[in-house]
Amino acid sequence: MAKLFERRLTPADSPLAILGRTTAAFLAAMVITAFLFRLYGASPVAAYYALFHEPFATLRGFGYALLRASPLALIALGTIVSWRSGFAYLGFEGCFVIGASATVWVALLTASGAGIGPIPFFLFLPLAILIGFTAAGAWAGLVGLLRARFGGNEVLISLMSNYVAIFILQYLVSGPMRAPGSLLETRPLPRATWLPFIIPGTRAHAGILIAIAAATLVWMLLQKMPLGYELIVTGFNPMAARYAGINVGRRLVLAAFFAGGLGGLAGLVEVLGSQHRLMDGISGGMGFVGIIVALLARLNPLAVIPTAVLYGGMSVGADAMQRRVSIPSSITFILQSLAVLLVLAVDALRYYRINFSALRRRTPPAIVEQVPR
Amino acid sequence: MTGNQFVVSAFVVTWLSASLRLAGPVLLAALGETFAEQSGVLNVGIEGTILLGALASFLASYYTGMIWVSLVIAVLAGIVVNLFLAWMYVTVRASQVVAGLVFNVLALGIASTVYRMALGNSAVPESIPMFQPLHIPFLSTFPGIGPVLFGQTILFYLTLVLAVVSHFVLFRTNFGLALRASGENPAAADSAGISVPRMRYAGTLISGAAAGMAGGYLVLAQVGLFRETIVSGQGFIALGIVIFGRWNPLKATVAAMVFGSCDALQLSLQIFGTRVPPQLLLALPYIVTIFAVSGLFGGKAVQPAALMTPYVKE
Repeated sequence: MAKLFERRLTPADSPLAILGRTTAAFLAAMVITAFLFRLYGASPVAAYYALFHEPFATLRGFGYALLRASPLALIALGTIVSWRSGFAYLGFEGCFVIGASATVWVALLTASGAGIGPIPFFLFLPLAILIGFTAAGAWAGLVGLLRARFGGNEVLISLMSNYVAIFILQYLVSGPMRAPGSLLETRPLPRATWLPFIIPGTRAHAGILIAIAAATLVWMLLQKMPLGYELIVTGFNPMAARYAGINVGRRLVLAAFFAGGLGGLAGLVEVLGSQHRLMDGISGGMGFVGIIVALLARLNPLAVIPTAVLYGGMSVGADAMQRRVSIPSSITFILQSLAVLLVLAVDALRYYRINFSALRRRTPPAIVEQVPR
Repeated sequence: MTGNQFVVSAFVVTWLSASLRLAGPVLLAALGETFAEQSGVLNVGIEGTILLGALASFLASYYTGMIWVSLVIAVLAGIVVNLFLAWMYVTVRASQVVAGLVFNVLALGIASTVYRMALGNSAVPESIPMFQPLHIPFLSTFPGIGPVLFGQTILFYLTLVLAVVSHFVLFRTNFGLALRASGENPAAADSAGISVPRMRYAGTLISGAAAGMAGGYLVLAQVGLFRETIVSGQGFIALGIVIFGRWNPLKATVAAMVFGSCDALQLSLQIFGTRVPPQLLLALPYIVTIFAVSGLFGGKAVQPAALMTPYVKE
């Protein structure tokens, strides 16, 4: 008797099969969320229209989608570097905050009359990138060091380090870096340090270009460079890597440093491109949504940019949805995380094929008597 | 007693009392997590489960006003959502860290959406009936230590009882042996006739029930209202306590008290007004957790050998 789901020996991993499964999972998540919209008494069609129309069908909204996509993409790239090296780093919320704080510190130093004084943007940006990347990279690299030297649990250490970083940020904006006034924030950054806006009439800024450049570099690192190969071998099989003469501990710390640095750049583009100041609560869960983006992109650096634009756009659309059909924007967290959970769940289907012949009418197979002549 | 002595003893009593109070929910979640981890599942999703348990108990208490019913509903909510997590961990064999982490985001989305659905956008948080501290006659009037040890809510004593029960179940029953075998050497457990998936489902569901109850504990005995930030990493701290407690319920109890006292120190120091920045004190429990799981004090060797490894029957 033919079964509907037949087991196959090799997993179906062609690009088409992956795309098909991911799309199916995403649609399933949208169907489940549609039921939630119904619970709110809203028409799912109207809700999805509100969710996708503004970010993807209006120029202004698309500009906002790019604005939200840039930090998400950078965090996703950091996730890819660390996870593919076998380092389950989850501390991007913290790296974001550290990178943002370091960037703002440099940017405020370049205000007229401050420590450095005004410098041209083409000098400022590399300096800010260097400092933001290094600060957040060191923050994550410390976790890498604990894992490599003492066998610490990087999952928990990095989760805890997020809270520590958030308290450091709160300390900075309520004490040493606080602007006079009642809010927990710094002074606005000098105009000369802002990332240029790239599409006229929108808030889209050059952060997305930084993200695209980073995606290309990460792709080159992992696919084309010996170091990337060593990182991936370390992630795949540390024992084999050690046997092949790779210093596994050193590679782990390096992966953590790169990953944290990319997370720090996410903070940099957010403060230089979008917020133009440092304030309490600036990360707002972006560190985790970035990880989700990386998972949906299946840890492929080139797929990160479109996925980040999709998720960034959804968060823009969520606000429009809240305004127009009064559905709380938090519902997009459900849609965004459910999609990834279902993508993981349908991965179990890799080892199955649908046997369409089992769907046809079950006529008993004709038994042909082989009568010897 | 001189004035100075009085201040010091008042400080110590407030501090110790708050230590025990704050240790309760984390300990409860850690006890459940011990079962999951002993069965080979690292259930990172307890952070989200605590949040959903808190929401469930808050809503139940808000609508029914019955605190015990609300606590039971929190436990049930924890079990139901962990059925999904167990399916992801055991049946789908997804990466446990990934599934648990993404589930936490899902739980945050569900919690804030459902809370707004139920209560609208009213700015004023609604308060609910709560468990009151027991004042055990005679003992709680004992000077100094009396109100600390014998003036807690009933949930605290229940948690202590559960710690002893957990220890007994894990190390003195057939079920506990089968559970630990599934986490230590699933292939051997399987050939001894133990269903590894069933044991891992059991471990995950126990951790779900405990985490749901911890959420109820937070709402019904500590805070009295629901906020999206009510959990803020306590589930992760519970994971740290499990490691610090070497996967042993009784040691986890001690570890939870240590963590509770760090958390409480911050409260007491703020009350008594110090010049230390409050953020440094607030970060203290997280920093202690980092050191506890950093591997600086050993800990790798006693971890269940098959932790985080999905089991595929050969």
